Amino acid sequence: MELKKEFLKREVAGESFLVPIGKTIYDSNGLYLLTELGAFIWDRLPEARDSQDILQAVLAEYEVDENIARADVDEFLDKLRDMGIL
Amino acid sequence: MNKMNANRTEPLLVSYLHSKGAKLKLPISGTFELTARCNFNCPMCYVHMNQNEIHATQRRELTTEEWIQLAKEAKDRGMFFALLTGGEPFLRRDFFEIYSAMKSMGLMISINTNGSLLQGDIRRQLLENPPFRVNLSLYGGCAQTYRNMCGQDVFEQVTENIKALKTAGVDVRLNLSITPYNRQDLEKIFKISQELGVHVKGTGYMYPPARRNGDRSGCENRMSPEEAASSSLEWDLLRFEREEFVRRAEKVKNLMKFETDRCAVEPDSGIACRAGSSSFWITWDGRMLPCGMMPKPEAFPLEIGFDAAWNLILMKTKEIRMPAECAGCEKKSVCGVCAAMCIAETGRFDRVPTYMCRMTDETIRLTNLICQKWGDKNNSREDV
Repeated sequence: MELKKEFLKREVAGESFLVPIGKTIYDSNGLYLLTELGAFIWDRLPEARDSQDILQAVLAEYEVDENIARADVDEFLDKLRDMGIL
Repeated sequence: MNKMNANRTEPLLVSYLHSKGAKLKLPISGTFELTARCNFNCPMCYVHMNQNEIHATQRRELTTEEWIQLAKEAKDRGMFFALLTGGEPFLRRDFFEIYSAMKSMGLMISINTNGSLLQGDIRRQLLENPPFRVNLSLYGGCAQTYRNMCGQDVFEQVTENIKALKTAGVDVRLNLSITPYNRQDLEKIFKISQELGVHVKGTGYMYPPARRNGDRSGCENRMSPEEAASSSLEWDLLRFEREEFVRRAEKVKNLMKFETDRCAVEPDSGIACRAGSSSFWITWDGRMLPCGMMPKPEAFPLEIGFDAAWNLILMKTKEIRMPAECAGCEKKSVCGVCAAMCIAETGRFDRVPTYMCRMTDETIRLTNLICQKWGDKNNSREDV
């Protein structure tokens, strides 16, 4: 899945953050802290063709109901779209 | 004018990161003082040196490679926030080489600047690869004040540069050091900040330039403690709605009964801030300090490596003890005394900085006077 803005994922003090790089302007509303699932999805975005690929990866990694996983994946991807990242 | 109703604070997440960093002994934030050179010549500056003065110290600025290497080692140890400062950092011809290398490491980079060079090619390069934040020192509200205080006729250029960065979407914050040279401009500065839509952090307290002048010469370039208190309050009156000012004054009201010379002595305390706990500062000549306002303790990362220097700073900072009188003082919530103030004012960490005592007493006295006038006579703000 193609990203519209450049970000780098950083691990700091056991937390995962998205850091804007290149031309991306920092949105001063806050820092981008990723949850464990968010970080997991983020790492798979470059290889994934669509949200279905992401969902399959989540189901392979976590013991979770498919509907719940789908809702979580969609919520995260929607958030990225709202922020103009995806 | 649109005034503030509450203090603008940093995101809670930043505080959380620093707390976690302190526990894990991680240098969450670092300041890189890229140069002592500056195109301004402000009398109260704690770092500025010209080429001859730098030469006389027999020390040298770090090279491009040395800064990048230190940043990499700091990042590997856990640094997330980096502040590039000076002097005026944009005077370095290799600024963008250092900055770009650090940004590509995934560091959240802020830049301290006087804003006078942010046009032309520098602006273009900066907007192509924008920082997390630009902290710009605004020294006055008109050309005359800039000429008097900074020795440069660049007021128009600076305000144009702020506008350009804001328009491009860069997060710009203004720092205001209130001094004898610009205190008459507070209203103008506030108006400018409102027009530009930029937050200003103002302070009437100026550190003596302890790092530059060990003998503390240069103190005459700041206001008396009483003037500093009055200017800070003047700034608060401009930026806060009356309700917010009164709310903040609540904690001050109860302190009137205490006399300056009745300091309760309590066991001395260590440093409570992030300096040397989750943050560090590297000077233009490569010394690591807990905070740039302290001349010591120091470590030399170029000689022993970043990790060893950070470990040394962590250890030495823990040994610092602040004055027992301050630990027991009822006015400490208003005073905000810190270890850097103690050593910069007195040459020792454990000696009371009486400048702060006088400034605090005057702050308490004037705050009560203002609130009393408002309460008693229901006067308008302009009458105070």
